[in-house]
Amino acid sequence: MAAVKTSRGAVPHFILPLSVLALLTLATLALAITTGSVSISNAELWQVLSGGGEPLHRTLVFELRLPRALSAFGAGGLLAVAGALMQVLLRNPLADPYILGLSGGAAVGALTSMLLGLSAAAVSGSAFIGAMVSAVTVFGLAHGTGSWTPTRLLLTGVVIASGWGAAITFMLAVSPSDQLPGMLYWLMGDLAYARSPWPALIVLGLISIIMLPLGRSLNVLARGQMQAAALGVSVRALEWTIYIAASLLTAFAVVTAGSIGFVGLIVPHMLRLVLGNDQRLILPAAALAGGALLTLADTLARTLIAPEQLPAGVITALIGVPTFLYLLHRSR
Amino acid sequence: MLKPIFVLALITFFSVGAAVADICVRDDSGADVCLSKPAQRIIALSPGATELIYAAGGGDQVIAAVSYCDYPEAAKALPRVGSYNRFDQEAILAQKPDLLIAWIEGNPAEQLAKLKSLGLTIYYTQLNDFDDVSSSLERLGKLAGSEAQAKLAADKFRAGIAELEDRYSHSAPVTVFQQIWSNPLMTVNNEHIISEATRICGGVNVFGNLPNLSARIDNEAVLAADPEAIIAGGMGEENRDWLDEWLRFSGLTAVRRNNLFFIPPSTIQRPTPRLLEGTTLLCQHLETARGRR
Repeated sequence: MAAVKTSRGAVPHFILPLSVLALLTLATLALAITTGSVSISNAELWQVLSGGGEPLHRTLVFELRLPRALSAFGAGGLLAVAGALMQVLLRNPLADPYILGLSGGAAVGALTSMLLGLSAAAVSGSAFIGAMVSAVTVFGLAHGTGSWTPTRLLLTGVVIASGWGAAITFMLAVSPSDQLPGMLYWLMGDLAYARSPWPALIVLGLISIIMLPLGRSLNVLARGQMQAAALGVSVRALEWTIYIAASLLTAFAVVTAGSIGFVGLIVPHMLRLVLGNDQRLILPAAALAGGALLTLADTLARTLIAPEQLPAGVITALIGVPTFLYLLHRSR
Repeated sequence: MLKPIFVLALITFFSVGAAVADICVRDDSGADVCLSKPAQRIIALSPGATELIYAAGGGDQVIAAVSYCDYPEAAKALPRVGSYNRFDQEAILAQKPDLLIAWIEGNPAEQLAKLKSLGLTIYYTQLNDFDDVSSSLERLGKLAGSEAQAKLAADKFRAGIAELEDRYSHSAPVTVFQQIWSNPLMTVNNEHIISEATRICGGVNVFGNLPNLSARIDNEAVLAADPEAIIAGGMGEENRDWLDEWLRFSGLTAVRRNNLFFIPPSTIQRPTPRLLEGTTLLCQHLETARGRR
């Protein structure tokens, strides 16, 4: 792993990678609004963007493709930032946003309201409630009477996650057959459920702004609690902030797109391999790279075998696994 | 040496035995299912099988069913032996059934094979089109000893469908999007029984040529296909939420002409005699759509 850069002189070096990622993001968003089952030529797209064009094309671009692309960007960014924070908090490379059981809690909430036949808005609401119940439970139990160590937090979270897993399996086993496809697609993660991109984008923006000034402290914490405390970081307060921030990020991601796997685990690692382990750079880079990856994956998921649809989670893994392995191989 | 009277008794016994053991029908797996006398203790292992056996006149002999067997009303009171995809083999054996009505596509094959090896008689159903509905009624009626009532039900179904076909199948075609689920949005291809109903009513399924029986698609594909009518069921038998979601796409022909029609899902998605009800409703809706051109 690359050396931690903490000098102020590092800041200008952030500009190049972040600009590249921003361009990549714009490219994936452009691809997302230009591709779909209906082909729209560049000339027609230009008409639509300048306020004219056919009504069908306007509907496609502004009501279907753009909101969905922004939702994908928001959810991907949330997951990647949450994953980066979890990896710092738990000091465990296997940590991802779901490791502490948040997605399991959200899934139990969402599946319950699907079983009750509630509306799509209620499904999102109960997913959020489930995620928060899980976050508070893990926090309370891990915190408990003794001190909070990463190991204790990790074990509590993993056990709670297994509990949710059992509850999900139970619910799938007793559900009527016609409900099953909807439930399975939710569990696989799917942008077709995205309602509005704004909650995800706003939370992503807000938490990034809150976490950025903490970048230096995060860099120190990534080396261990003891060193951080010795260097004057208020460890407990910082860990609580990270936990709450990561929980909120994950909850909004899951509510937007179901439990999309892989992005939160791999994107932060990929970025560390390329950019080094400076959280001041990794966090904004993760927001952009995670967002771009999921936008691209979702565009492919809805067009590869159109009009039939694939779950976006499959494509994130198909794109991400070889890329990650290549980077890992190159870094030896 | 055998006494003549005993020999006579033996001969009589075997000939009577042979005469009675001739209730035999061929099930949908292609196997012959034979009973020595009409089934008295029947267990139906899917909601569709339950509806069929009741319609075939064997309802009084049904002693148990699986979860979600909700039609007819009498079936709701039946004891349950599990769900269609995982049943309780002990509960089934304890009921001492003389006939199980299974569902090839939905029931677990291993569990059925086990029950068969334990000596139970199984009739396998797999209904793919309208003809299968009437012929299943007749075959099940034969096994349940209610042939007359089954024939009546089968004839009524055939005649009803034939009448709809005569009246509507050559009318001006209406392009139709058959929505069978929302979130994810799902439809069916031409192989599905819903598409057969659509054809009978003079409709054309816009996604009929998709490779899979049921497929997950996106809103954009529906906008591109721009069907003249959208037909949907919903959660529950009277819930138009799925149709209302289309109202935001004012560019759709179906929305402009208000051709968003609800059909209770259990009358069109299950291959049972109630298909006649659902198909009649579908034909009326498509006729309404023709009137709105």
